[in-house]
Amino acid sequence: MANWIINNGVTCVTLVVWMGINIFLFVWFYLVYDVGDEYFYTRHLLGSALAWARAPAAVLNFNCLLILLPVCRNLLSLIRGSLVCCSRSLRKQLDKNIEFHKLVAYTIALMTAVHVIAHLLNVEWYNNSRQGVYDDLSTALSNLADTKNTTYLNPIRITSLDPQQIPTYLVFTTIAGITGVIITLCLILIITSSMEVIRRSYFEVFWYTHHLFIIFFAGLVIHGAGRIVRSQKDSPPHNFTLCKDRSAEWGRIPQCPVPQFAGNFPQTWMWVIGPMILYLCERLLRLVRYLQTVRYRKIVMHPSKVLELQLVKNGFKMEVGQYVFLNCPAISQLEWHPFTMTSAPEEDFLSVHIRSAGDWTEKLISIMQQLPEGAQGPKMGVDGPFGTASEDVFDYEVAMLVGAGIGVTPFASILKSIWYKFKDSNPVLRTRKIYFYWLCRETNAFEWFADLLQDQEREMEERGIGDFLTYKLFLTGWDQSHANHAMVHFDEETDVITGLKQKTHYGRPNWNKEFEQVRKENPSAVVGTFLCGPAVLAKVLEKKCAEYSEVDPRKTKFYFNKENF
Amino acid sequence: MGKIEWAMWANEQALAAGLILFTGGIVGVAGLFRGWQFAAYAVAAGLFVCLLEYPRSRRAKGTGVERKWQYGLTVCVKAFGPLTRNYYARAFLHAALCIPAGFILATVLGCVCLGIASLIYLSVSQILLQYFYILFSPCRKLVETVTRKRLFHY
Repeated sequence: MANWIINNGVTCVTLVVWMGINIFLFVWFYLVYDVGDEYFYTRHLLGSALAWARAPAAVLNFNCLLILLPVCRNLLSLIRGSLVCCSRSLRKQLDKNIEFHKLVAYTIALMTAVHVIAHLLNVEWYNNSRQGVYDDLSTALSNLADTKNTTYLNPIRITSLDPQQIPTYLVFTTIAGITGVIITLCLILIITSSMEVIRRSYFEVFWYTHHLFIIFFAGLVIHGAGRIVRSQKDSPPHNFTLCKDRSAEWGRIPQCPVPQFAGNFPQTWMWVIGPMILYLCERLLRLVRYLQTVRYRKIVMHPSKVLELQLVKNGFKMEVGQYVFLNCPAISQLEWHPFTMTSAPEEDFLSVHIRSAGDWTEKLISIMQQLPEGAQGPKMGVDGPFGTASEDVFDYEVAMLVGAGIGVTPFASILKSIWYKFKDSNPVLRTRKIYFYWLCRETNAFEWFADLLQDQEREMEERGIGDFLTYKLFLTGWDQSHANHAMVHFDEETDVITGLKQKTHYGRPNWNKEFEQVRKENPSAVVGTFLCGPAVLAKVLEKKCAEYSEVDPRKTKFYFNKENF
Repeated sequence: MGKIEWAMWANEQALAAGLILFTGGIVGVAGLFRGWQFAAYAVAAGLFVCLLEYPRSRRAKGTGVERKWQYGLTVCVKAFGPLTRNYYARAFLHAALCIPAGFILATVLGCVCLGIASLIYLSVSQILLQYFYILFSPCRKLVETVTRKRLFHY
């Protein structure tokens, strides 16, 4: 339970606060339009439907403000940097930015639906009032025209068209109507192209369609410019309680002058202008970074079509576990793709390992393959670094690192950094022993990582500290041919799969055995467990950590850290 | 962008359009709007489009992910053979379905969305891809693909 609070407490509080603000805005603006005196006559024509349209509009204003903020990555990095003093849970909250972005997007979609439905009702009832279907008061109110002495309440002024087509006519001849239709359409296209299936498989469709948000925000800002939501003005004083039943006498008796109405000042721009400017700055910063020179230090083609790029950029500073965005104009002017960095901060270059996984990566690999020896690669833009650093790894005496599949990539950075810190006896590093568990279906595409482990293994042997790092590779996708091969080469010193001294295991790890081993070898130590892999595994490890921890300070304690890379 | 299967997006868009058409129709009927008969049509058309588009097709390349509980619908839709399997047919079907919804305001959004889906399907049908059906047996062990004609024409 305590673990849950530490891992999820801040998320809960954030969500409760956000929901609270939404509910408050909804109820407040609902009451303004449902109870306020200046909307008495409007309510006579429309009932509560206007309130039902304006309340979600307020929630929409707030959420459209919020939606741009989680994707301002540099802003988040800035906040993260200034929160260094505060607890890490607060900073890790910033890593959940995309999930928050999606939550806000769904809220916008829901509120748009309510808003549109309410306005459909409004338009229909306005139309009916104008046609004189309802009572005398409604007809009188609707007849108020926009002349020198009178101001209108009912935005439908036309009567000469077929009544069934008047609502459509209104929508397409008012600013609010046209912008409403356009931005709702943009929203729908953005949402359908952001479904997981489309995003994961056809990223370009998602990315380019998402830029419809520019039209969305432009339309949103001018949506209220027509001022068709009208409220009654105080002058001349027109008491509706007295005058509502005497509509035929308005203007002819002193107590009941003709009521005057005016549109409300559009407010959406006040909500969204700030984040729009912030986001614009983000994109400009990306442009500036794109223009900075990036040199290639080394280009390596690893087996299984994995490309390693070592790049040098002036003034670039990174931490372990962070990621960058890469852009290659030779492939696509507009696409930026994220990659976790595999170099350590102690190195004077940044490296990424790129696997062939789509159009962009395949083109990049084929361009690199055709380069002559020693030549510089195509122009590359680097934006970043982003993401919460994983420096917690260095705080524990004993660290258990578990990397599953592609999740092994950030550990390349971490292991290298630990190695550099150990060599330089960096006081930041408290780690004395590391257990690294590498789980993958097959070693295809990760031979480069095996090479990295091999180098480290060799260096440690030379220094006589062979037991600083213990690796275990678990091949979960083994079959009979693997088993046969292993049996035949059983006696060899190095492992047949990885070439490492430590042998490969087949199948999934027996976590009881592993935790038992760690506990036995490290009595009275505080062990940090870090995972980069599937959520199912996270649950398993969390449980094991709880199981094998002892309250007694003389015994081993396990802490599970949920990392998202 | 050559390898993108636009049909996957057309499918998502058509499903969303069906829902929007359905909702607009419900509002029109419930409020007894002028021309509510068009709204009633939209309810039926929206429901039909949703049922038609709910089964997600298998992808030409790569693994497909079916939607929850789509097995029953897949069987029904498959039964119509070339009418539902061919992208041209879908494009024209959606174009025809969306037109009557354009006559009243409540359903105009659904009309436009379905029209867009129809256009995407039309652009895909140039490649004459066939719609493959994901048919998972109730035990979920087998993936069965049903095609009568040849698979790809470029």
